[in-house]
Amino acid sequence: MVTITNLVKRYGSLVALDHLNLEIEEGEIYGLLGPNGSGKTTAINCMLAILKYDKGGIRIMGEEMRPDSYEVKKNIGVVMQNVAVFEQMSVWENVDYFCGLYVTDKKRRRELVEEAVRFVGLEDYRKMRPKKLSGGLLRRLNIACGIAHKPKLIIMDEPTVAVDPQSRNKILEGILELNRQGTTIIYTSHYMEEVEQICTKISIMDHGRVLASGTKEELKGMIKTGETITIEAVVLDEEQIAEIRELPHVFQVTYEEQVLKIRLSGAKHNLVRILHYLEEREISFGRVFSELPTLNDVFLEITGKELRD
Amino acid sequence: MLHLMKYQFLQIVREWSTMFWALFFPIILGGFFYISFGSGNMGEDMEVLKTAVVEEEGETLEKTVFLSFLEELDGDMIEIEVMEEEEALRALNADEAEGIFYAGREPGLTVAKSGMEQSILKTLLDTYQKNAEMIKTVVKEHPEKIEAATLALEDWKETTEELSVGGRTLDPNISYFFALIAYAALSGMYLGIKECCQSQANLSALGARKSITPTHKLKLILNSFLILTAIQFFNVMVLTGIVQFVFHIDLGGNAGGILLINLLGSMISISLGILIGSISKLSLGMKMGFGTLFTLFPGFLAGLMFGNMKNLIEQHCPVINRINPAAVLSDSYYCMAVYNDTARMNRNLLILAAMCVLCMLISFLVIRRERYDSI
Repeated sequence: MVTITNLVKRYGSLVALDHLNLEIEEGEIYGLLGPNGSGKTTAINCMLAILKYDKGGIRIMGEEMRPDSYEVKKNIGVVMQNVAVFEQMSVWENVDYFCGLYVTDKKRRRELVEEAVRFVGLEDYRKMRPKKLSGGLLRRLNIACGIAHKPKLIIMDEPTVAVDPQSRNKILEGILELNRQGTTIIYTSHYMEEVEQICTKISIMDHGRVLASGTKEELKGMIKTGETITIEAVVLDEEQIAEIRELPHVFQVTYEEQVLKIRLSGAKHNLVRILHYLEEREISFGRVFSELPTLNDVFLEITGKELRD
Repeated sequence: MLHLMKYQFLQIVREWSTMFWALFFPIILGGFFYISFGSGNMGEDMEVLKTAVVEEEGETLEKTVFLSFLEELDGDMIEIEVMEEEEALRALNADEAEGIFYAGREPGLTVAKSGMEQSILKTLLDTYQKNAEMIKTVVKEHPEKIEAATLALEDWKETTEELSVGGRTLDPNISYFFALIAYAALSGMYLGIKECCQSQANLSALGARKSITPTHKLKLILNSFLILTAIQFFNVMVLTGIVQFVFHIDLGGNAGGILLINLLGSMISISLGILIGSISKLSLGMKMGFGTLFTLFPGFLAGLMFGNMKNLIEQHCPVINRINPAAVLSDSYYCMAVYNDTARMNRNLLILAAMCVLCMLISFLVIRRERYDSI
């Protein structure tokens, strides 16, 4: 569906995209995960042929993507990071206007607009102007404007930024529904939970490069971390921390403000072993929990920094 | 296309600030003009200007010709009184004369202030000098054509006389209202700039969204042009109607001419705005700055602020007056309402139409395959 080959984009001396390669198959929900400034939006803008790039190629639906690739553009829907609607027009008028840029048949358009308004749950706000909508509802309107024409490929650039949890869930459910209907979706976010929740394939980006690609299971399989154990309200001295570091399968220990975080490679009974050690030393502790590796762990291991940094 | 036009129309007319500057501001300005100049002398015939004439010593051909030129105008446009220089200066300072013409080897004019009356006297002197220069050139280079040249000048004289007899006289204040209408027409440039910026991905999120749609750029740009021109034309016609029917300013009585000039004025301002807006390298603020420059500077060159500027340019660099939209526009109003010169008016309108097509063509070529350096 989308092939990006060796894409390079520079802003002066800053390299925003550094030989980026992506291959997105039809029917996928493809997540581009990375911190702010990692090049996700730049990649999207290049894909849409609105941003110049220095090197590389982009093919969408088998055709090279250019500003006048009107036939390809008919099959693409975009939900921009910034809300892009007309303040002077109502919810219905906005969706109708943008849908009209793709669909000329009036009857068909009316059906599509109705469907899009219902899809994002804005039926009761049809006649309202955008400035009377809450942030979440505005985001939903932004989505409706981008998808009303039922495109084969939808590109969503951080559609849930600054959205309340209720609206976020509604949006994520909507994306899954669109995918079930056969739409390919490219989804960028710096929220790993969202990407993990909905994406069938993920690329982790930083500094304009793809660091790792695959399904979430494949990505987690690439790293050493099999489990992270966190123990709260525990008082330890340097010697005890050093002893914990020497326990089997432990490869990283951090201790800050009485919170002990231990990363271990995948093995059975890790938690039992740690608790046994604390009991033996008669060390008291508070809450204990164990987590399987997340995409944040993947990012942390690959880049040495947290995704949220 | 109709779908796009409908929504574009709604976007603009529902935006209060845009409509205020495009429609209501010129009307308010017109109201101030009307109050400032008073309604008493509107539409009345121009007063005959009292003018002193000082004959310099010595008898020269130039002096005799200039005196006979002034005598021909005596009673129609000016009332001349031959005086000694001292007496003439006294009359000028006491506001008993609008100016002093000096008849000698080099004809001259002295005025004590600037205003419409003084501009008229200056125009008379300029006209005389221009014609005298022309006759001299013809005598020197083509003496065989002197008769034709003299006849041409006679024609001009007859025309001006006929117009006067026909009652098409010019209220000096009308020029301010023509300037106002021309300004209102040209201020449509801001509508064009703003609209164009709303279609550019590097200047607005809406522009980004529009840029990624499959709607052909030519369709988008033509749609903008048609709707904005229609709105601007309506605004200018409302202003013209108010000037004519509420302020009772006689704009020449040629409804068809007014419609055509206002339409072409709206078209050129919108297309210039779209052209400025299409230059992607500039920010919105810069583009608006250019809009102001392209509204005020051509207006200045066309004499909308300083009456004699257009004549000066006509003498020294006439090509500017042919390509300056404000000059072409104001000249069209004058051709219609004052000179009754339909041929010249039509030529002006053709120039405006051609400029308009050129602006739109360049704009389309600029934006059709545009990608931006940064968004």
